[in-house]
Amino acid sequence: MTLLPTTVVGSYSVPEWLERLKTEYYQRRISAQHLAEIHEVAIKAAIKDQELAGIDIVSDGELRRDNDVDYFLARIPGVHIPQRAKTDYFDYYDAEVTRPLPELADSPETSLALAADFSFTRRLTQRPVKFSFTGPFSLSRRIRDGAYDQPGDLVRALARRLNAEARTLADAGADFLQIDEPFLAGYPEQVELAVEAVNMVIDGVAATWALHVCYGNRYARPSWEGHYDFLFPAVKAARVDQIVLEFARKGLDDLRLIRQHGWDRWLGLGVIDVKTPEVEPAELIASRIRRALEFVPAERLMINPDCGLRHLSPEVARQKLRAMVAGVALVRPELQAGLESTTQSREGGKT
Amino acid sequence: MDVDLRPVKKLRESAAARSALGPIIEAVCASPADLARLRVVCDWIQYKQNFREPVVGRPVGGTDLEIAVDLRRCADLDMEASVKHALADPAGLALEPWVPGRDSCIWRFNALYWQALSEWERATGREYEQSLPGGESDARNTEAARELILELFRLWDELDARRALPDELYILELGVGNGNQARTWLDEFVQLDRRHGRDYYRRLRYLMGDYSPHVLERARQAVAHHGERVSALVVEATRPSITLGFLAGKAFLVYISNVYDNLPTDEVACIHGRTYQVQTRAFLADEDADLIAGQFGLDRDRLVPLIDRLLRIGPELLSESAPGQFRDPGRAVDFWRAAWDALRLRERYVPLEGLDRYQVTAELTGEILRPLIEADGDIRMHVSNGALASFTGTLPLLHPFGRVQCHDLFLTGSHQYRTGFYGPGKYDGSVVNWVNGPLLQLVASRRGFGVQFTPFRQRPGSNITTLTAQPRD
Repeated sequence: MTLLPTTVVGSYSVPEWLERLKTEYYQRRISAQHLAEIHEVAIKAAIKDQELAGIDIVSDGELRRDNDVDYFLARIPGVHIPQRAKTDYFDYYDAEVTRPLPELADSPETSLALAADFSFTRRLTQRPVKFSFTGPFSLSRRIRDGAYDQPGDLVRALARRLNAEARTLADAGADFLQIDEPFLAGYPEQVELAVEAVNMVIDGVAATWALHVCYGNRYARPSWEGHYDFLFPAVKAARVDQIVLEFARKGLDDLRLIRQHGWDRWLGLGVIDVKTPEVEPAELIASRIRRALEFVPAERLMINPDCGLRHLSPEVARQKLRAMVAGVALVRPELQAGLESTTQSREGGKT
Repeated sequence: MDVDLRPVKKLRESAAARSALGPIIEAVCASPADLARLRVVCDWIQYKQNFREPVVGRPVGGTDLEIAVDLRRCADLDMEASVKHALADPAGLALEPWVPGRDSCIWRFNALYWQALSEWERATGREYEQSLPGGESDARNTEAARELILELFRLWDELDARRALPDELYILELGVGNGNQARTWLDEFVQLDRRHGRDYYRRLRYLMGDYSPHVLERARQAVAHHGERVSALVVEATRPSITLGFLAGKAFLVYISNVYDNLPTDEVACIHGRTYQVQTRAFLADEDADLIAGQFGLDRDRLVPLIDRLLRIGPELLSESAPGQFRDPGRAVDFWRAAWDALRLRERYVPLEGLDRYQVTAELTGEILRPLIEADGDIRMHVSNGALASFTGTLPLLHPFGRVQCHDLFLTGSHQYRTGFYGPGKYDGSVVNWVNGPLLQLVASRRGFGVQFTPFRQRPGSNITTLTAQPRD
């Protein structure tokens, strides 16, 4: 893999016209079939945008999803959603469980159909594909739990379901999977439970795994404020290969945690603030990367926006991705030059 | 012919209103108007000072016509003559071309009122608060302040426990009036903070924002004993981010009182399924123009340029630049008041060619109106452009756990537009419009905020409603 590979966190810009059509669907004014076809066209365009911007690892932009939670809850057996029409597509459902979720053995035929989403994307591009889905802890925060005595049991039940889905995804060829936990920063005291559930999702699935934790991006606003201190050291127990964190909006102070806690795996470095339409200059992005390189070696640094791009306009999203790639392009030669000089001095030493 | 009777409550209460209906129908039938293309709309305009004649005609898209009647002023009216007069559409002395409502010069008058408030007050001999309904502001309620402060303490304690409490705790008040609200709030804060024992007062930053430097200075004096805890900023309410951009994501409370009803607005209408913009044109009736010209020793032709100059430079400089007509600033204020009293608006409906081509604010297109227009069929409503711009510019200032609390004249349901008149009217030298609450609610919802309307607790029975906006989900 190239040095400092670029990728996205997951979601891509949802244009206003698509939002309107999605809402039309949830108000039952267009059919599911028509919406599915619209989504396919939008996903093709999103992938093309990423390729043209020069992104190394692309995603489907999560454009089929109404939001980060309901797309999954609506498909999980045992999650009851009394009212499935919405005033606006992005609104959250009112979801509940009244009895424990059926285990996979009791409903082997059910699937969340994420593998089909992945396969569609896989066919559209030659580039590596990242596929992300919301983790069990965050999903549980949007469910009214009337079934479990211990709240952690709902999280674990969701994790088992997602594990089955991850296996199906891996069977379909997905080799880079990401778990998003957008609600975790609001419940720092539950990080151990969230990590335990992440490990349940990952269990037995041969793929590169990333874990994305941010401070929320709903409606392009942070849902919480604070520092990533709460993640450590608990997150070290997560059997993931990479953590994907936001730094562009919050500043780079929390990079100290990487060194302080000896995080020795990959870091997905957020270098694009997705909550502002202001496009960062490439030089600023490069300076963020250079600063991160003081804490993480280049071989373990992946470059991405802080979070999904869904709330940015298509043009701004394109510009931001192009700027990110340009910023990386400023740093790569410096690293290359450093490597060459190291090699030369080693060779010089030999002689 | 449609007849739209909006003030249904008044129809039950007022025999005069009921008895006006027959003559209205008689009068339009006696007119040469094509009745198949005529609408009659009856309102009850509660503002004694307003921009309307009792009966006016409004062209609808160039083919149809609306006759609008104020039932409150029909008792002694020669209806047939009034309808005839409205159909004749006498030009009067126009002060501007046809424009959307928010671009009308009535807003320049409004802006001048706040900029030159001290001169206006000197001329009228009373402070603007005395012009408010009830004769005073509602800013002295310690109980309401206490509740808000204790809620903030609870939140701050929780954030502090998570090490997520910022060093500086920002509170913003927009539209500060005479500073009484700020003083009441801050004095109460000091008391409660002492009891609470967490020394939040030391970290408090109370920002007062207002359009009027005069008002701001008065407010600043009222809270002078809170020293550096308080900052006063001139804020253009419709573009708060220009002055307050540094506050993005930091404000725990934004308190707004009686600002939105005083900001420029368009109106849109849906008539027989077609959407129109209401365009307006300010004018002086011929007899009023002649009267003012005579009163100030002016040629009638000079009225329009002099009013324009007044709106550009204010009464003080006007008297300096035209001492022959205005011997002192007081005389210029008299001119201003006379023009304002006589000011009327002519209206017409112009088809909107696509909601997306209508810019509601710099950020929002008319698409945001679609759910309300489609849900409510034939309707005429405020777009509340200024309030929307202010509101949407304020929401990003909120901390993730912050809230906006706003006291104003809000409609809380679109259906109210079918049964009442909600402006524009005149309050002293300023413009008043009720604010389209459902539209603010919709916009907030699209940005992840829940909006609640509750009765105004400080003065039960008033028309004021409290809007509270908080992040949801």
